[in-house]
Order: sequence, then C-alpha cells, then structure tokens
Amino acid sequence: MWRWQSSRTAVVGVAIVVFGVCCLLPVGYLLTMSLTGADGPYAAVLLDARQRGLLYNTVLLGTGTALLATAIGAPLGVALARITLPRKALFRLALGAPVLLPPYVVGLAWIYFGSSRGLVATLLGRDLVSDWTYSLPAAILVLGLVLYPLSMLATEVAMRRIDGRLEEAALMVAPPGRVLWRITLPLAAPSIVGAALVIFVIAVSDFGVPGLLRVRVYTTEVFTAFAALYDFSRAMLVAVPLLLLCLAVAAVAAALLGERLVITRRSAGTRPAFLDAWRRPAVTGALVVLAVALGLPLAVLVREALGATSLSAVLEGSGEAIANSLLLATVGATAVLSVAVWLGYSRARARGRIGQVADVLFVVVFAVPTTIVGVGLIGLWNRPGVLGTVYGTDFMFLLAYLARFVPVAALALAASTRYVPLSHEEAAAVSGAGWLRTMFRIVLPQIRLGLVAAWVISFVLAFGELGVSILVAPPGEATLPIRIYTIIANTPSSHVAVLALLQTLVIFTPLALAALGAAVSLRPATCTQSVPSVIEGREGR
Amino acid sequence: MSTAALAVTNVTKRFGSHHALDGVSLDVATGDAVVILGPSGCGKTTLLRLIAGLEVPDSGEIWLSGTQVAGPRRSMVASHQRGIGFVFQDLALWPHLTVEKNLGFVLESVKTPRAERVRRVDEALKLVRIETLSTRYPHELSGGEQQRVALARAVVGQPRLLLLDEPLSSLDQELRATLRAELARLQRALHVTTVYVTHDRDDAAVLADCVVEMRAGRIASVSDTKRKEERE
Repeated sequence: MWRWQSSRTAVVGVAIVVFGVCCLLPVGYLLTMSLTGADGPYAAVLLDARQRGLLYNTVLLGTGTALLATAIGAPLGVALARITLPRKALFRLALGAPVLLPPYVVGLAWIYFGSSRGLVATLLGRDLVSDWTYSLPAAILVLGLVLYPLSMLATEVAMRRIDGRLEEAALMVAPPGRVLWRITLPLAAPSIVGAALVIFVIAVSDFGVPGLLRVRVYTTEVFTAFAALYDFSRAMLVAVPLLLLCLAVAAVAAALLGERLVITRRSAGTRPAFLDAWRRPAVTGALVVLAVALGLPLAVLVREALGATSLSAVLEGSGEAIANSLLLATVGATAVLSVAVWLGYSRARARGRIGQVADVLFVVVFAVPTTIVGVGLIGLWNRPGVLGTVYGTDFMFLLAYLARFVPVAALALAASTRYVPLSHEEAAAVSGAGWLRTMFRIVLPQIRLGLVAAWVISFVLAFGELGVSILVAPPGEATLPIRIYTIIANTPSSHVAVLALLQTLVIFTPLALAALGAAVSLRPATCTQSVPSVIEGREGR
Repeated sequence: MSTAALAVTNVTKRFGSHHALDGVSLDVATGDAVVILGPSGCGKTTLLRLIAGLEVPDSGEIWLSGTQVAGPRRSMVASHQRGIGFVFQDLALWPHLTVEKNLGFVLESVKTPRAERVRRVDEALKLVRIETLSTRYPHELSGGEQQRVALARAVVGQPRLLLLDEPLSSLDQELRATLRAELARLQRALHVTTVYVTHDRDDAAVLADCVVEMRAGRIASVSDTKRKEERE
C-alpha cells in the first residue's frame, strides 16, 4: 500500500512542480515585479490616454472575434449535432482544420489577398480593399476565421450531451425551429458562451495577427516595449492590464464550462436529427465557410508561392529554422505530454472543489497571453548564474512550449482518463499491482488514442508557436515561425509564402492521416443513425 | 381508411438487423384506454414512438381519427401536428424551465392567447394537484411531483391521443399505486383516448379498457378488461 501511495505522490508531485515552475512562476514573477518594481506605476498606466486606446482596441479585437467566431461556429455545431450530413466525420475534420493554422499564416494570406498588390487588386484591376487590409476589422476577420472551430466543436459537444428526449418531448408540440430556439440552445448556451469567452481570451492574447496587420493592442505593445525599446519595466507594466483582463475572462469561462471541460460523454438518450429539413442550406453554408476559411487562404498562398523562382533558393536561408522547428516541436510535444499525462490523470480522479479549482487554473494559465509568458520567462531566467546559462540555449523554447501547452494537454487527457472507470484501477490494486504498473498496464493503454491526440495537438501548436518563441529565442537561433515573421519586410513575398505553405503542410499532415482514418472507418449513414438509437435506447424498443 | 381514434395497420420497423416490430396492427376506439404489456425489448416503446411520429415505419400505415399520419418510410403529419400528448419514461421535463413554463411552452406553440394560456396551465396543474408548485424548477421537485408535471404537460394541450411510456416505472410501490389511481381518475375525467405502455400487470388491471400483449415485435393477444365491461 505504501508503494502504491509513494510512487503516485512522487510522479504527480514532479509533474506539479514542473507545472508550477514553467506555467505559474513566470506569471507570478511578472505580477510581483510590477507591483513592487516602481512607484505608483498602475496609476500612470491607467491614466495614460495611449494605454486606454490600447485597452479599447484589445477589448474590441477580443469581442469582435468572439462574436464573429460564434456566429460562424455555433450554427455549424448545431448542424453537425442535429442534421444528418453526408460524410460527417470528414466535414467535422475539414471544418475544424482552420484552428490548427497559425493565425499569422492566415494573416499573411489576407495581406496577399487584399493589399494594393494583392489578389483582389490584380483580378479586378482596381484597389478596393487595401485601405482595409491593415486594420482592426481585418484582424477580427482573420482571427474569427481561424477560431470559429472552437465555437463549432463546443456547440456540437454541448448538443450531443443533451438528452434527446427533451427535444422529442418538445417536438410533440412545437416545430423544429422553435424546439431549437427554446429547448436546445438554452441548454447548450453555457458551453457556447464559455467557448466565446475562451475565443475572446485567445484573440486578445494573439500577437502574430495584430503584429502583421499593424493593429496596436497590448500584445504588440509588450513586444515593442521589450524587443524594440529594450524597456523591460515598461513591458511588464503594459502586460499587467492585459494579464488581469485575460485571467478574469478565463476564470468566468472556466466557471461557466465547469465539468464540461473534462466530461465529454454523450447523453444516454437519443439524439434526434430533427433539423434535417435544413440539410441543404447547412451543407451549402459549411462549404462556403470551408472555402473562405481554408480554401481561400491556401489558394492565395499557393498563388503567391508560384512566383518563387527556385525552391532551393527559398530553403537556403531557412533550412536551419525548419530543422529547428521540427526537432523542437517533436521534443516539446513529448515533454508537454510527459507532464500533462500525470496532471490530466490527477484532474480526472480529483473530486469536488479540487477538480474545479484545477479546471479554472488550467484555463487561466492557458489564457496568459504569449508575449506575457515570454516577458515572464525572460525576467525569471535571464540572470547571472546557472539560470543565465540555461537562458542562452534552446532549452528556453522547451520552457515556452511547456508554459503554453501543458494546460491544454492536461485538460484533454483528463477528459480521456475519465472514460477509464476507477474500478479498473482498484481491480489492478487488489490484484497486487503497484500504481506505476497500473498506470502503464491498465490506464495508459486505454487512453492511447487520447495520448496520441494530445501529442499531435501539442506538436502542431508548438510548431506554429510565435509569441513566446520570438521573445525567448537565443541570439542567432530561429524557428520557422520566427523566420517567417522576421523576413516579411525584406524578402520577396513568394519566398515567405513558400515557407508559410511548408509550415501548413507539416501541420496538416497528421490531420490528413486522421482524415484518412475517418474515411476508412466511415459507415453507411443509415447505420450511424439507427444503430445507436437501438444500442442506447431503453427497454421496450 | 380507418375512423378509429388510432389505427395501426400492418406496421413493421427494423433497426439495422433487429426486427423491432413485425406486422403490428391495432385499432383503438375514441375514449378507450389501451395498455400495451410486454417484456423489455418486445417493441412496445417503438410502437409508441411510431404513433408519435418520432420514428417512421418501414412498412404499414398509421391513422389518427381518419387521417393517415404515416406510411412506409415517410411521415405525412409532423409530430407536433398530430395532437398527441406524450409522457416519456424518464419524463423529459425541460430543466431550464419552471413547471408553469414547461406547460406554457405547449400552449405557446399553438399560439394560445396569454390569458387563456395562464387559465389552462392553472387548470392542468389543479387537475394533477400540484398548483402550488408552478414556479419550481424540475430539479426542485420529488419524483412523484415530477411525474404529475409530466402528466399535466401532456394533457394541457387537450390532445386527442395520450401516449404514456412506462411513466411509473421509476417509482416505489406506494407512490406507484397512488399515481396509478390518479391516472385512472384523470383518464376518466378527460375521456381522452390513451395508449399506455408498461410491463406491470397491476397497471393494466387499473388503467386498461383493453390489454394488448406483445412478444418479440408482434401482438400476441388482445383482450377487453373488466373495467370496460363495467363501463359499458
């Protein structure tokens, strides 16, 4: 019994320490330093009209993105949950793909689309949208098109969790539209609103898109203060209001989502496809969204890349950055998974308040804006001694990936672990297995798909990471995102487009493999509709 | 064409390879209470869902008061236009609506004026003796109270056919007996045509004018009860 307890305590304890050092310490350091580092800094920051403008722009960017992403994503989620769509698994995969694209890649495509020398101007012979290319609405549009899958998936999951009999009871007395409006959507509303708040936080935390589209928000200001003005104190001060805004919104989102973050099981009842009358408009709408959010950016990048004279010339200066990115993302994803699996397990098995606090903590830590994580890591590690030795190495990239992606991976793995009944562990324990043996022989094999998914997600996110990497990168070292971001101004656009496409290719490869798997496992629509209603139905059927 | 309140003609229904209903025919006269008895998996809930329009038959026809509402693989009349009140086994009370709003939703859907709506909701609540619970949410009610709300919601729209899918199955014996008597009283008071699905013979004895026994997707026997003889 002692071995059982001690091995678990040791392993989970190490994971918690790593989480504390990588995820909590940088933010804590930043907050502490900003509170103690200067006389009355907050008053100056808050009273400065320039800062109020930053706050206004930031809130507008977050709100606009959340509204746009929800307006696109929620109806798609409804369609996926309540309409019998052809090849639904592939539709879901394709519609979810844009969220894996690094936002600045779509931002880049937007510039090549709308600028004075872009696709629109070339095709129409007139410059119609270039005034709008570098603007706040454009940043909202780009981020909305990248982030709508979060709303879509949250809506679909929420609707699948609703007991279909509640809708069937309403269908006995009301038409489908009214049932959707009065019964289904109110029941799914907390998840939809929660997802909108998460999108708000991700949007105001983004650095790449506002940076590219020259929109002044907090993240770009923090970067400018640190990287251009070398004013670390100012960077910290500007970071604090953004940090507080993100933490507050993330805490509300986590509270709203509650257990939904880690419980993904479907409802026990039937899920009536009562909106099938809207099938045609739903398919049309989904195809339009796919064309605009995925097809158009990729087409624009391909068109731009075709102007490159030689691929080897493009790769010549960027080969090292590409190799760096692949290696660091692989090692980073593995490191993230190594920590997150134990945290996810602990969260899945936690009960009551501890579990709720863990959820809020994971969401809040994930909500910390990238540039703030970067500034926090620099403040913490850029000092004489051993820490300083670490600071100048690629290890900083790994710290950045751990700080950014452990919370997401932990939540995903907590959801997977919940599927493994506690009794399986108890059965192993009474059979004489220690905790580690139980984990490796009983629990982890049952969540292997979740582990693979968490690794792939971590890899994709790490491969596209820009906001922290660009701040903590050692001199002379670059990843592909840093390379793309820094050569935009002084390199032919065709070269930049080739690199952006290369990045997209690497990100979409695991997705394509998943799509292949989905295609192989596709069953006839009649079976997928009727069989579950028998399996999940109650007696008397 | 059938003029019975409910006519099910040679209906079959499959789920994949599972034969849920196999050539089921049934006529129910206006005002009658039919109890469908049978073990788990015999197809009685499927029959109810077909009548309600929540599933479509693979073959056969379903008629309500002389109007065909369903044929082979198609529904001619949508569920909400069939004039049916349905009590689900798990009650399916909408958790985000209070008791009065659960009932009000039914009347709003047929555009009943507000004053009329309030009056009919009050009447329905009085009928099942829970008029003091109108502002409560479902989770604030006991099992028996929830049962009564589900019943009130099913009858508030004055349906021409009432379908009940094992509504008492989750209750203890004592409460079950009480509510069974209440249901019988209600059915007599409203004189609404009723189809009641159960696997409990006690339910049949108290509630049925006619008992239909089902086995493996087929009707095994149909028999009138003492209650019907007394009524006639």
